[in-house]
Amino acid sequence: MTPLVMYQLVSLALLGIGLFGIVNRKSLVGMLICVELMLNGAGLSIVSAAQLTEANAVLGQLGTLLVMGLAAAEATLVLAIIVVVFRRFGTTRTDAVTTLTNES
Amino acid sequence: METMAKIAFAVYTFLILGGAVTAIRARSLVRALVGLIGSLFGVAGMYMLLNTPFLALMQILIYVGAVVVLIFFAIMLTHADEKGEEGRATETRQNFWALTAMLAVTACIGWMLLRAGVPGLSVPAQVAVDVLGKGLMEDYFLAFELISVVLLVAMSGAVLLAFEKRGKK
Repeated sequence: MTPLVMYQLVSLALLGIGLFGIVNRKSLVGMLICVELMLNGAGLSIVSAAQLTEANAVLGQLGTLLVMGLAAAEATLVLAIIVVVFRRFGTTRTDAVTTLTNES
Repeated sequence: METMAKIAFAVYTFLILGGAVTAIRARSLVRALVGLIGSLFGVAGMYMLLNTPFLALMQILIYVGAVVVLIFFAIMLTHADEKGEEGRATETRQNFWALTAMLAVTACIGWMLLRAGVPGLSVPAQVAVDVLGKGLMEDYFLAFELISVVLLVAMSGAVLLAFEKRGKK
């Protein structure tokens, strides 16, 4: 097994564990944690593919940097959404928050 | 040296997988967050092994420094402690579907990965940091500018969403 395949398997495990968690978790914050796990797997996969093949290594590293920036932006927005949902519904349980408003 | 690299790889893999499992199984969300931090440090170590120390430092700076603190704020603002919503036992049905979702994706990709057998290099490529900066300023300038716009929009959107008029309640 080449080093590339081993790195890819580790990142695949991160993706799988994140997927398991995002279905299994019962609150929005737990799901956010799982999304971060999956994004980490993506970053590791991109970097190992760029560093261990003949592909453009600069492109791979900068791509991962952009993934990290997007993860930060996403975490900011999700934090704001969680705060709004908690203020409106009084909970962040995913099975309790099934409507967009609670007007009716 | 070869053995050292293998030992380091095993240690980082253990850190990543153990942290990830803690992150999805822990009842308390703060413990789950600690698991996530362990996993992030493991990935940073993997970046070191892949000869990209700049990315390893950025990983620690951005993820552990910014994203984890944001998630911690989210936990604190929603009182998500052990007696909260994560404290209840998971239904078997939910566990089953989660396992199905995981296995369906990982089995497909893993099968392809093991079958394709991509011949990789054994020594990672070496890229100096000034080459990275040059790439950011010349070749991938548009992406660099776009990510800053995205960050600005996300930040102002978050402020707008969470803003509460004084004296409303």
